[in-house]
Amino acid sequence: MSAGNIVPRGRRPKRLTPERVGLHAFLIICALFFLTPLYVMLVTSLKGMPEIRQGHLLALPSAPGLAAWGKAWFAACTGLSCNGIRVGFVNSLRILIPSVIVSIAIGAVTGYALSFWRSRGAVLLFGILIAVAFIPYQVFIYPLVRIFSHLGINNSVPGIVVIHTIFGLPTMTLIFRNHFAGLPEELFKAARVDGAGFWRIFGAIMLPMALPIIVVAVILQVTGIWNDFIFGLVFAGRENLPMTVQLNNIVNSTQGEREYNVEMAATLLTATVPLVVYFVSGRWFVRGIAAGAVKG
Amino acid sequence: MLQRQLVASAFAALLTLAGHAKADELRAEVIHWWTSGGESAAVKVFADQFNAAGGIWVDTAIAGGANARTAAINRTVGGSPPSAMQFNTGKQFDDLVENDLLTNVDAQEAAQSWKAILPAAFVQAVTRDGHAYAVPVNIHGQNWLFYSNDALARAGVQPPANWDELFPALDKLKAAGLIPLAFGGQKNWERNLFNNVMVGRGGRDMFIAVWGKRDVATVKGPEFRKVAESYKRLRDYVDPGSPGRNWNDATSLVIQGKAGMQFMGDWAKGEFTAAGLTPGKDYGCTVLSDHGMAYVMGGDVFAFPRLKDANQIKAQQLLARVLLEPATQIAFAQKKGSIPVRLDLDTSSLDVCARKAAGWIADPNAQVPANEMLSPPALTGAMEDIISQYWNDPAMTPDAFVSRVASTLSQQF
Amino acid sequence: MRIGSRLPAHLALAPAVLIALVAYCGAMGWTIWMSFTNSRMLPSSVFVGLRQYSSLIANERWQVSVSNIAIFGCLFIIATLVVGFVLAALIDQRVRGENLLRSVFLYPFSMSFIVTGLAWRWMLDPTFGIEKVGRDLGLSAFHFDWLVRPERVIYTLVIAAVWHASGLVMAIMLAGLRGVDPEIWKATRVDGIPSWRVYAFIIVPLLRGSFATAVVLLATSVMRLYDLSVAMTNGGPGIASEVPAKFVMDHLFDRGNVGLAAAAATTMLITVVAVVAPLLYWQHSRPGARQIA
Repeated sequence: MSAGNIVPRGRRPKRLTPERVGLHAFLIICALFFLTPLYVMLVTSLKGMPEIRQGHLLALPSAPGLAAWGKAWFAACTGLSCNGIRVGFVNSLRILIPSVIVSIAIGAVTGYALSFWRSRGAVLLFGILIAVAFIPYQVFIYPLVRIFSHLGINNSVPGIVVIHTIFGLPTMTLIFRNHFAGLPEELFKAARVDGAGFWRIFGAIMLPMALPIIVVAVILQVTGIWNDFIFGLVFAGRENLPMTVQLNNIVNSTQGEREYNVEMAATLLTATVPLVVYFVSGRWFVRGIAAGAVKG
Repeated sequence: MLQRQLVASAFAALLTLAGHAKADELRAEVIHWWTSGGESAAVKVFADQFNAAGGIWVDTAIAGGANARTAAINRTVGGSPPSAMQFNTGKQFDDLVENDLLTNVDAQEAAQSWKAILPAAFVQAVTRDGHAYAVPVNIHGQNWLFYSNDALARAGVQPPANWDELFPALDKLKAAGLIPLAFGGQKNWERNLFNNVMVGRGGRDMFIAVWGKRDVATVKGPEFRKVAESYKRLRDYVDPGSPGRNWNDATSLVIQGKAGMQFMGDWAKGEFTAAGLTPGKDYGCTVLSDHGMAYVMGGDVFAFPRLKDANQIKAQQLLARVLLEPATQIAFAQKKGSIPVRLDLDTSSLDVCARKAAGWIADPNAQVPANEMLSPPALTGAMEDIISQYWNDPAMTPDAFVSRVASTLSQQF
Repeated sequence: MRIGSRLPAHLALAPAVLIALVAYCGAMGWTIWMSFTNSRMLPSSVFVGLRQYSSLIANERWQVSVSNIAIFGCLFIIATLVVGFVLAALIDQRVRGENLLRSVFLYPFSMSFIVTGLAWRWMLDPTFGIEKVGRDLGLSAFHFDWLVRPERVIYTLVIAAVWHASGLVMAIMLAGLRGVDPEIWKATRVDGIPSWRVYAFIIVPLLRGSFATAVVLLATSVMRLYDLSVAMTNGGPGIASEVPAKFVMDHLFDRGNVGLAAAAATTMLITVVAVVAPLLYWQHSRPGARQIA
């Protein structure tokens, strides 16, 4: 696959043909389908409980209010403390940022090394990584807890960062390896002729060309790490519990009336960071591709 | 206000980070799953009493019993155990005892004379190899029947007194256009309902024979088959929206008068109370039991991991003592909807349903240990799968169900 | 292709090798060992041979889980590939509002499976979801109660999962499409080949790599499917929507049956290795081939 022109090809058709109208209409209908769950959550979070109990899922709120949002952020009770889910927000960030950086860095380097190393060992390593990606990660919890406690990093932020790196490695390695393997060999031959070594090629040539894949990697890791619950619960330690733990306490409390509006607001608040990353990264996605373009 | 809270929590965080606990502080971190409004009010009783007695309660609430137990066990195994952790009364902490991760509470047992004041089944449930390893804190009745007085009146139905009267009552409710039986179709409630039918129609001995002794002969007998048939019959009286429904959404149907009855444990009272309904007046509570009163008692306990710090150990001992003090027990029971685990207290301040129950369990023959106390989680889970299948699959016959149960009970767990 | 001295590559691979050996092989080895013991809630070292495996095979819930994941996996992967590719191809046509459309299709992936499951459970609930909306609109015979029907419930999981993952596949396909040489488009226009044939017979083969990446990403999330099943149906009604990962998770913790859970996990591992190993071997032995699925 040649890294040809990355911006959409040709001029934008100016004429309003039935084809163009149909195309846009179809896309809009698809977009509505994709937006419906978000719409339902938003609308529910703005309604009061009496209105929700009536059960008209798609109806707009009759008297929209942000009370549920305020309660979710500031005052929702999770156990004895009624401080809302903001408690975990900072923790989630403290876990997210180093985990994303470390896991992508190691994944990129590993993918790069594997794409140019043609030994049995490399294939075996890659095979192990792929196989592990398919296993429900819960089976690893107990042995890792024992290992971590021996290493002394249990219940700490470094511990949870290592965990996310461990479990992000297969997917990260896969996508980076595939990407690098798809690049033309001439690039490397030229760089080798110029006398560049392993790391130099990586830093000067591979990384800039990997921008679109880095965006995909960031999307995958931000989603996985931010939304993670069980690892944060087991490995992060009481002082570092992520937002998802508070969210679980609000949404999965089995007794008492389910305040669906607060639950939806809490859920949307928890989903904000990945959502923002997504809406922003769309633009960078295209720019990244354009920046990595190589004219053949 | 927010400013002050921020400063306070920053200060607390600093203290924790620095690890400088005052030398004589009796801090106890407690992991539990009581996260909803009513449950929080109840656990606050424990916290307040502990704090008043000189301790410092550090609360770690995690919604979902399985989540809380997972976190607690993994932390204990991983070397940073909490001071106390919640389990259901039963066999959930067996492995922790076997691996010598819990400290025993024999001292408290002796000091408070548990054998004299607690139901025998509960003392047994926390004792392993002659030592007590957990403190029971409540008794939750699992086989209640709640009904909406309004709905029954509209259908012209009297509250049933036994299982034979139940089905005609359900028929009348159906004829009146109401949902006869409100039900939350999740596996553990399907199992709870089955237990209700089994102990109600089959009696205390059958219940203990099946869950405790795993007696295959009982399962293959005619009485058990009748239980299975009655259970399946109840399916006709639930509404199509029941699969997957949360149990408290089902209770809500009864509260609103859209449904007539619900089989549920006494924690459901909290829902009625939150909706402003009074027991006896707006809703009724009873236990249907054909072979003499049989009250299925479950509950919660707190277990104490082995710790090294002398102060933390003292804190554990203080907590164990406080949990069973009379004032704590009564205040907790009022908020939680359970009855005190101590049988020697004055229960006149509890609601009418709790008073009924306290009267019933004064007779040891009415006390039925919950299946969590009789069988390990693995067996409970395997049975749950079969019961749930039987409930949801129209094609599964009582005979098929009986043979599946028999083969499961014969497995090793 | 040689990179000269192997040392930098060795160093680069060191973290991965360490993780692979200690975390993966170590933990998997421990799990396999556990499957031969009678471990309940915590590990024990009492050897019981193949007892857990025979319990597993006879376990009806496991059988249902396996068949469910097979059905779910096939439908989910195919549907998501199709939807993702079609969306990418359409967006590639220089449509207006491309940025917005792309974000709309991509955002579901940012939602955790728990949120996805919850939202879709609401929408598909027969008493107040789509069925009620249809009835309210006057279609009194409108039925959509798949969520509570044992024979149909697995398809509701597919719907929710396709909604969740199509955007990611679309993003991968879009990157691939944008990398296609514009000369090809010009040539096909000159030759007058109809659009759909161009896509089906020229573009899709060109995007082999993107498809491969997408398939592997989707396949891994198929085997690991747990949160969605819990949030949407909790395996119900009955055991109709149980999946293997949920089987493992439930038995690991709540049911205190580590031995059985380990046997299930080992079975999953064997299945995966049986598929992945020949594939890798085949890829490795082809001369000159560098791309791998």
